[in-house]
Amino acid sequence: MKVCIACGMPMEKKSDFPQGDEQKEYCVYCARPDGTMRSFEEAKAGMTKFIMESQGFDESAAEKIAVSSMKKLPAWKDEFSKE
Amino acid sequence: MKSKRQLQKESTRQKIIDTAYRIYATEGFSASTARIANEAGVSHGTVFAHFKSLNELLECIIGEFQISLAAEFHDMGESSASVSDFLDAHLKVLIAHEEFYLRLITERSLLPEEVQYVYADNQSTIAHHFNLLLSREIKNGIVKEVPVHMLFNTWLGMIHYYLWNKDFFSPDEPVLARYAGDLKHTFISLITK
Ligand SMILES: [Zn+2]
Repeated sequence: MKVCIACGMPMEKKSDFPQGDEQKEYCVYCARPDGTMRSFEEAKAGMTKFIMESQGFDESAAEKIAVSSMKKLPAWKDEFSKE
Repeated sequence: MKSKRQLQKESTRQKIIDTAYRIYATEGFSASTARIANEAGVSHGTVFAHFKSLNELLECIIGEFQISLAAEFHDMGESSASVSDFLDAHLKVLIAHEEFYLRLITERSLLPEEVQYVYADNQSTIAHHFNLLLSREIKNGIVKEVPVHMLFNTWLGMIHYYLWNKDFFSPDEPVLARYAGDLKHTFISLITK
C-alpha cells in the first residue's frame, strides 16, 4: 500500500489519489485543484488547520506538531536539510 | 527470501521494541536504555545499532501503538460503523495497552518534545476518524449539534479521568475493562438527541 509522501496518509482507494491517478505519490488532500502537489507552506498551513480542527488545539502548538510530523515525510526532506 | 542474518536482525529489533514497551509500561519513561538492553539480553550498543537515538526508539514504540489503533479502525469498516462500534474499537486498543497508555498520558511531559509531538499527531488521526463519523451522525440528526472536537475531547476526558484515578476506581484490576460499558453508554446517552 502507498503512503502519501507529503502527509503520511495511507492511500488505499482510487479516490485517495489526486484526480484518481494511482501513479501519484501524494494524496488527494495534498494536491492542488490542478493536480500538482501543494507547497511546503501550503502543506504546513493545511496540517496545522487539520490538528486545530480535529482536537481544538491552540494554533502555535498545532503548528509545532505539524512541522514535527513533516520532518519525517520524504516530500519535505530538502526543506529541513536547508536549515 | 530473507537471509538468516536479516531475520536475526529483525528479531533482535523486535525484542528490543517489545522489552522497551514492557519496561516503559511497568516502570515509566524514566527507565534507562541500559536497563532495557539488560532486560532484552543485548548489549547497550546493540540498542543503538538498531535505533539511532532514544527518540527513535520512543517514536517507534508509540508508532506501534498507533498501528494497532489504525488496524482496529480499518477492520471496523469506517463507512458503515456506528458511534458505538467506534468507541468499542478505541476502548479495545486502550484496554490492550492500558498500562502503557497510562504512562503516556501521565508522563508525557517527561518525554523529549519531538516524541510528544508524535503522540499528539497520532491523537489527531484518531480524532479525525472520530470527527468524520460524528459529523455524519450530526447530519443524520442522531447526535446533538456540538463542535466535533469538543465531543472527542469529552470522550478522551472521561477515559483519562478514570485512568488518572485508577487507584480509586479500580486498584486491583485494569480500570478500563471494568468501566468500558459505563463509559461508552454514558457518553452515547449524553451526545445523542
Ligand atoms: Zn497527503
